[in-house]
Amino acid sequence: MKWGMAIEQKRCVGCYECVLACKAEHFLPPEMFWNRVLIGEKGKYPSVTKLIFNVRCNQCADPPCVKVCPTGASQQREDGIVWVDEDKCVGCSYCVIACPYQMRTMYEDGNAQYFPGQELTEHEKIGKTLYPHEVGVVQKCIFCKERIDEGLAKGLTPGVDRDATPACVISCPTKALHFGDLDDPYSEINRLIKEKKGEPFHPEYDTQPSIYYID
Amino acid sequence: MIGTKPYEFMIKYTPQRDWIEGHGILIAFALFFGGIAGGLYLVSLYFDSLLGMFIAWLLAMVTGLTDMAHLTKRARFWRMLLKPKTSWISRGFIVIWLFLGAAAIQLAISFWADGGAAETFFKVVGGIGAFGVAVYSGFVVGYVGAIKLWNSAIIPILFVVAGVTGGLALLMVVSVGETFLSWDVAIALRWVLIAYAVCMAIYLWVATYESTAARDAAMRILRGNIASVFWPLVVLLGIIVPIIMLFASDSTAVFVISGIFIIIGGVALRYCILKAGVYSPLVPTE
Repeated sequence: MKWGMAIEQKRCVGCYECVLACKAEHFLPPEMFWNRVLIGEKGKYPSVTKLIFNVRCNQCADPPCVKVCPTGASQQREDGIVWVDEDKCVGCSYCVIACPYQMRTMYEDGNAQYFPGQELTEHEKIGKTLYPHEVGVVQKCIFCKERIDEGLAKGLTPGVDRDATPACVISCPTKALHFGDLDDPYSEINRLIKEKKGEPFHPEYDTQPSIYYID
Repeated sequence: MIGTKPYEFMIKYTPQRDWIEGHGILIAFALFFGGIAGGLYLVSLYFDSLLGMFIAWLLAMVTGLTDMAHLTKRARFWRMLLKPKTSWISRGFIVIWLFLGAAAIQLAISFWADGGAAETFFKVVGGIGAFGVAVYSGFVVGYVGAIKLWNSAIIPILFVVAGVTGGLALLMVVSVGETFLSWDVAIALRWVLIAYAVCMAIYLWVATYESTAARDAAMRILRGNIASVFWPLVVLLGIIVPIIMLFASDSTAVFVISGIFIIIGGVALRYCILKAGVYSPLVPTE
């Protein structure tokens, strides 16, 4: 089993719903993003193309972040998910430096809040107890591994059942994001990647990403 | 070429921040201390200066402490010894500890019971460790494929040469009381400074041809926002002025002043290389 994602570029409208869903799911503090929507322009007037790329940790099969980590805090599970053991991270930031996709963040300001000078929102208060992020360690997208693990324990199928699928995928209003098992030749995600010729983002980085982009 | 605005993140060349901004600046000092510690020990072995070896040992200690000071979870520093198989930081940390141990024994033997086989043995081991301390920082940054300016086979060589240059400069300063030693060191330093300049020129020249990201980074150093540090501190103060001074005069004052200039230039070099590290844009807009 190897979890992966396929992103249909033409369906993405750049609404940022996936970013908000991720923030809500993991109670991410301000300035921290586990996924992003990058918007650029190509060409010159009158022939301009708007480019929208929804990006997150690519859960690379050959992750440089795991290799450079001096403590073993950055790890890769058997299902391909790359995660950080907060109890082992020393905060050297080598993994942040080594990621060519720049999808890791050092959590530095534990006092940051969405409405500075005012009381914490209920969501922030809940997050501090329910999903505390340790200050001074590196944070990143984990493909919502908690949802996957709990879903599998209940006999659900990630990518098919909502409760076992990453929050960004189920929140997408245009169904641009697809999730599933890359090792299963009959999975929907594999069919999509094969039929629509999905390609990893910047394959020249040679890290074997588990996220495929479809034009 | 200037700073990146938030909405330009990974749309344009995005500078790395973690190892240069805030307490990340400690990495520049750790790279410098590592280089000069290793370099000083090696040149002190060559010139047989026990004082130089002792200062190198202290600087290696400072290197380890600076590395640890950069960590946000310092109490867990021992965990950095656990992944030498794949991590250059882990390898470097182990090398520093091995060097500290071997050099401490060598210093003790050289001070109290010199001339034996044991002294020679620990000098060899200490020398190997010192080379490791000087070179590992080059591999730490050189291994980062994401930053094309750093991902160069020349950078470990440059860091060792810069370390030896800084080591000679420091040895020249601390040995001014011993006239013949400081003269010998000054003569060697003239030529090593030229080699250092050539090495740096080759590194930057190659960077302009390696990839567009490496070229952008090299241009930041040569003509962009880092040029104001690179030209006056690294090139003028750290290389040209000391070369002129050392060829023109052999007075004690010249030795001390040029030595200090070279050391300042060495710190500035590490700062420039870290500051110029940029990532290639993810979104292909050009």
